[in-house]
Amino acid sequence: MSVKEPPSAPTALQEFVTNLKAAPRRIAETAVRSGTPDTDRTRSTFIFGNVFLHLHAVRTHRWTLRWAATLGLGIASVAAFLLTLITGVLLMFYYKPYTDVAYQSIKDIHFVVPTGRLIRNIHRWAANVMVVTVILHMARAFYTAAYRKPREFNWLIGMGLLVVTLGLSFTGYLLPWDQLAYWAITIGANIAQSPREVTDALGLTDVFDPGGLQKLLLLGSDAVGAEALIRFYLLHVMILPLALAALLSVHFWRVRKDGGLAKPADVDQRLGTPTVPTYPVFTMAPNKTYQLAAIVRGRTPAVGRGPENTVPSMPHLFYAELGVFMLTVLVCVALSVWSDAPLKELANPLVPENPAKAPWYFLGLQELVAFSAFAGGIVVPSIVLIGLGLIPYLDRSDVGTGLWCGGPGGWPLVRRSIAVGLGIALAVEAFIIRFGWLREWIPGIPQLVITVVNPGTVITLLYGAWSVWMVRRFSSARAGALALFTCFLCGFVVLTIIGTYFRGPNWGFYWSPADWPKH
Amino acid sequence: MKKNKYLLLLSSLGTLILLVGAAVQENFGKDWRKIQATAHSDEGPIPVQLRQIVNGTLRTSDRCVSCHVAMGPGEQSVTGSPLLVQHKKVVHDPAEYGCAICHGGQGQATEKEAAHGEVEFWPEPMLPASRSYAGCGTCHATLHVPNHQTYLRARATFERLDCRTCHRVNDRGGTVRPGGGSLEGPDLSRVGLAGYAADWYPRHLQHVSDAASATAPSPPPSAPPSAWKTAFAPVSGEDQAAVKTYLDLLVGAPQFVEAKSVFNSSGCLGCHKISGVGGDEATDLSRAGERDPGQLPFHEVAGRPTLENWLGEHFRSPSGVVANSRMPALAVSDQDIDWLTFYVLSLRRRELPSTYVPRDRVRATKLGEREYADDGATLFGTFCAGCHGPKGLGRRSPGMPSFPSIASPGFLALASDDFLIATIRQGRPGRRMPGWERDGGLTRDDIAKVVAWLRETSGTQAKPDPKPRRWVETGQGTADKDLGKRLYAASCSGCHGDKGQGIEGPALNNQILLANATDTFLAETISGGREGTSMQGFLAGSSSRRSLSPQEIEAVIAFIRTWEVTRK
Repeated sequence: MSVKEPPSAPTALQEFVTNLKAAPRRIAETAVRSGTPDTDRTRSTFIFGNVFLHLHAVRTHRWTLRWAATLGLGIASVAAFLLTLITGVLLMFYYKPYTDVAYQSIKDIHFVVPTGRLIRNIHRWAANVMVVTVILHMARAFYTAAYRKPREFNWLIGMGLLVVTLGLSFTGYLLPWDQLAYWAITIGANIAQSPREVTDALGLTDVFDPGGLQKLLLLGSDAVGAEALIRFYLLHVMILPLALAALLSVHFWRVRKDGGLAKPADVDQRLGTPTVPTYPVFTMAPNKTYQLAAIVRGRTPAVGRGPENTVPSMPHLFYAELGVFMLTVLVCVALSVWSDAPLKELANPLVPENPAKAPWYFLGLQELVAFSAFAGGIVVPSIVLIGLGLIPYLDRSDVGTGLWCGGPGGWPLVRRSIAVGLGIALAVEAFIIRFGWLREWIPGIPQLVITVVNPGTVITLLYGAWSVWMVRRFSSARAGALALFTCFLCGFVVLTIIGTYFRGPNWGFYWSPADWPKH
Repeated sequence: MKKNKYLLLLSSLGTLILLVGAAVQENFGKDWRKIQATAHSDEGPIPVQLRQIVNGTLRTSDRCVSCHVAMGPGEQSVTGSPLLVQHKKVVHDPAEYGCAICHGGQGQATEKEAAHGEVEFWPEPMLPASRSYAGCGTCHATLHVPNHQTYLRARATFERLDCRTCHRVNDRGGTVRPGGGSLEGPDLSRVGLAGYAADWYPRHLQHVSDAASATAPSPPPSAPPSAWKTAFAPVSGEDQAAVKTYLDLLVGAPQFVEAKSVFNSSGCLGCHKISGVGGDEATDLSRAGERDPGQLPFHEVAGRPTLENWLGEHFRSPSGVVANSRMPALAVSDQDIDWLTFYVLSLRRRELPSTYVPRDRVRATKLGEREYADDGATLFGTFCAGCHGPKGLGRRSPGMPSFPSIASPGFLALASDDFLIATIRQGRPGRRMPGWERDGGLTRDDIAKVVAWLRETSGTQAKPDPKPRRWVETGQGTADKDLGKRLYAASCSGCHGDKGQGIEGPALNNQILLANATDTFLAETISGGREGTSMQGFLAGSSSRRSLSPQEIEAVIAFIRTWEVTRK
């Protein structure tokens, strides 16, 4: 005899339907396991339960979220990098890194592939934006003295990121294989070869030729050709992006481990108490210190007292980061809609461009290289890089950390350094444009003298002298660093602008391209 | 902290707007959409979609029909925008062949500027509309094209004989006969390719006589017998030959053929090679019509930087356009420069599957048939006229030694046929004249024809020379080499060089010259000079230089002969 089943028990089918209905909700729940981030606890788990977000601290200091603190330049750099990464991968679907088809494939991307032109424009603009933001980010870190203990090494990693960024941009420059690309890279390769200037003058080139070796490593040949293209391609799409990603991870990780962004010692007084309607500062006062905090540098939250000047990173920090991210995307897309990436004639090794110009961020160097490649292209940049790298180890004080132009001298010193930096660069440039340089005066002058006495070395020496004076005047390494960094930034801007806009055929000076001779 | 929220909101909105705008522009803002939206076929509005002609065998995928819809397969009835016109009736249906194979340009692009190649630095722009027929050269090689003069004469003969009264050629002629009823002969526009009855002339005469006798056993097609009575009259043999020449050149592309005939009168192959034929001195021109303008120097070229403009200026002043060019300025009319530009633009190639290689190209590449006619005048025009001038009277071009006049009666009277043939065969090593008896050059038969033409055009036969080839030293033995050396240094070395290497004048130490020139040739040339050149006769007195006696001339010859390397 059959027993009638209770009608209330769901059948397997009903259960299946119920589960199916619940599936979307459950997928969401299991994806974000902590539930809605609406309490301190759930906000925290939201962050450290997420592989992508857990590099962030759970709470962010209000100082950090002020726009003036960072100007969002670091995030903007990352945003630009991600944009180049995504658009770059898309471009790889169509780009062919062989000299006989490379140019054609770029033409196809530009004119045939749907949205190809926009993608290529975004890639190009994002790359340029990235160079700018990386440089500005570095300036921000410098002017707020954020390189100081415990962030010294992160400053060095940041410099590594700058070099890799320039390398990425430079290697990408060759890939279109047009005249612009070809001759810009030829110039770059000749700069790499420039130590030969010195070895030649000393008669050593036959036995010791680091310049030739550098160029050979870069190009795989004597001239820019098929080997160079494949090398640059591999560097551009594989080696340098991986290097950048690795350095970037360390950079982020260190920011976190070094206690977030640099803040002035008296940050709490400077901020004052938070205004009343501020988003909940904390919902549960801690009643014990977290031992985890011992691993992270900085002060642990005090027992019985909430960290008034921190706010939950979720959502405050993420709004800020996403906001800057989207602003960067907006800028890149707007620039891409407004202006197309250049594409000139197919590369022709027999017809040099005149003037042949390197990518814009190297035009300041090219301005110096025009006088002697070794001093302008190797010595001065090396001095700059070494000087930058030494800054955190020479400036050991802690006065003014976290403040713009913080430290002895302050803004008045920076202001005066801007005047000096611009003045010296403009004066030297005006002098050489008006009166020429050594070779015009003494035709038979030895190459070694040419190499040593470059306008770049002159400018560097003058900047150095100004900086040393400032060190003595304020008896502070920070003052010297402020002076020197400001001067070099000004020099970079002046030389880059002159190289970009005022140099014509045979590197002659012209007020405008309209004045260039016809041939 | 609210401002971060607004920053995020506004940036995201801005980006969204830009991307949506770009997407709309990309998907809906294209010109071809607007054009197609105006279009109607017999069945009403046409679907707006990207259209293309695909031919896998030719590797064609041309999207030109997205705008030029009415030229696509089965779309002839589409009208609307003024752009929507059918293609002119052509043998190569664009629906099968696509567009870019003939017209050039970028077939896959979907915007006008990019497709037509009007974009800055575009490597392969479209052929200009006025030169569309240059596209034929991509696949076709019209064979046996004579020089321009012969072509014009043949065409004029065809016109003079009123062949067009009955026959339609290139969309002209073949109208209804006035007063005689309709007499429509076959369209002859492409008989050069399709072929025609070789016995057309006797058959025409037969029709006339049949019509006259009114028996007409086999009435010719499409014409009442009465019309034949007056339609045709006997034609001289010479005119028949001219008509044959013209018919063979009717390939449906009159401009292409005429341009080639001008090319075959300009001597370019003397230095340039095309498809393995011609000289080695200069650039191979086989693909000169598809050169990337971006790779050419445009400093001296006026107008837009197109290959067309570059070629025109280059023909006018080769060394002005290309630094260190050794090409002589052509000194021909603007009209001819136009034709040459046309022809060079037609020098393009495309890899074709064998089923698509046209017969004329097969005959040229596989069967060794030639693209120039084999009469002496055309051979001279094709290979020699570039340096020796259209009439063989030499050419002077600034910055290079003058090219000798070889058709002047004085020279031809002295030079034996053997001398001329040997010179053409072996050339002048060290000078720009190459030896022509080789692959890609001339056959012995050709060389004989060129010599015959030189004789014919100058009306000069070689004077018979009773003396032996070498009589100066074997004669009385009076020739004094030392005296010759002094005289040479004083009178000759200024132009011919102190070692006979040639400066402004030709090289005299040239072994092939020394081997082939008889003593009589040398003696007569020295005493009489060479008309049309700076070589004056030395026998006659001159106010500006010392004259030479016959003995002295012999001494000079004896000295010149000392440069000859005697083989043992």
